[in-house]
Amino acid sequence: MEDASRLMARVRKRDGAAFESLYDAYHRLIYGIALRILGDVPAAEDVTQAVFLKLWSSPELFEKGNFGAWIGRVTRNRCLDVVRSRALRPQSEMPETMPADDALEDTAFASLDAAFVRSAVARLPDEQRKPIELGFFGALTHEEIARQTGVPLGTIKTRIRTGLRKLRAQLDGVVTA
Amino acid sequence: MNPHEELLDAVAVYALGALPKSEAATVRAHLRTCAQCRAEYDSLRPAVDALALSAEACTDGRTGPVPSQLLKARLLRTVRQESSAPAPRAQGRLSWPGLVVAAAAIMLAVWTTVSNLMLRSDLSSDRDQLAQLHTQIVGANRRVAAQKIMIADVMNADAKHFPVSGGEVIRRNDRLYIAMHGMPPPPKGHVYQAWTQSNGAQKMSPSITFAPDRSGVALVYVPVNAATIAAVAVSVEPEGGSKAPTTKPEFVVKLS
Repeated sequence: MEDASRLMARVRKRDGAAFESLYDAYHRLIYGIALRILGDVPAAEDVTQAVFLKLWSSPELFEKGNFGAWIGRVTRNRCLDVVRSRALRPQSEMPETMPADDALEDTAFASLDAAFVRSAVARLPDEQRKPIELGFFGALTHEEIARQTGVPLGTIKTRIRTGLRKLRAQLDGVVTA
Repeated sequence: MNPHEELLDAVAVYALGALPKSEAATVRAHLRTCAQCRAEYDSLRPAVDALALSAEACTDGRTGPVPSQLLKARLLRTVRQESSAPAPRAQGRLSWPGLVVAAAAIMLAVWTTVSNLMLRSDLSSDRDQLAQLHTQIVGANRRVAAQKIMIADVMNADAKHFPVSGGEVIRRNDRLYIAMHGMPPPPKGHVYQAWTQSNGAQKMSPSITFAPDRSGVALVYVPVNAATIAAVAVSVEPEGGSKAPTTKPEFVVKLS
């Protein structure tokens, strides 16, 4: 498949075929994230539609870097908007625009598959995996995670960091293989 | 733990997207000036990005959730109207509310174009407005088109009907419907939720949530490829739906 950055360059020129290629490549990722966070099929479809319409109407929002990672963050933030509107509780959001110098390249990201990442996450100790999943898919802040799990806030933060470092180490093993 | 170790922990929580906005702003400012924390952030962020990938629906479309096949068609219809490629002729006729909304969209597009020439900095907000209007148009057309397809499918002689208590499950080609009559309203704070079991699967997968109208009637499109579904169930679940059934199903029916 053509590189996502090139497809986005064509979308900026209002190329519908490029948009369709992006949809085919990324709709499962976007829908999967939305369904995991919202747990609601109609809401997940609405978010998927909104994200793709945003891609079409404002393609300049993607500047450079890993498209899959970026669209994942955009999707999660859109889901957090829905969660906020449901629960009226304070939420965080993921930084979308700050570039990461050491981010996985598109090709490396593409070499990962969902099954591998799920396996890598499953290998984390429960005490690290649980707060990471509650923060990412449960849309909870670290304070809410601490309250829900009954673990001190400082411990939660350390476990999140330790778990993410282990996950990163596992990803490095795949990417360099 | 020294104060900088605590900051590094906060950086990890920030990368995960689990810091409240006020604390996130503090960490963001710190990252601009601290090379060590910035390196930690850059190291952890790919792991967070990969977490998103773990939620990707299965690529075979049978064992994992996939969006409705109508979603792509709706999006492409919107896109083709603006695409640089020659647009295909519109099929069918818009209803008058659709024409009014479409005319408004054209006027807005013209207004947007003129405004952009005058003030390019407005580009992003104008496009947002246009996107919102498109969403409304798509939503209205979606409901009308979906209702037409549903009625045609349910009434079609080729449709297969599977009776259940208080209604039936209907399959036509790759589409699946639940048609209920005399269905009591769900308890307060609850909805009905459909569950589907793929061929060969051991467990039910969560699907659409719904509620009957005041007369107890519900006609619901189940967003799956019906050809791959072995059984359908409906249960009462909390609003927003559940990832696994929490109550005894109202019915379970095998599609064979």
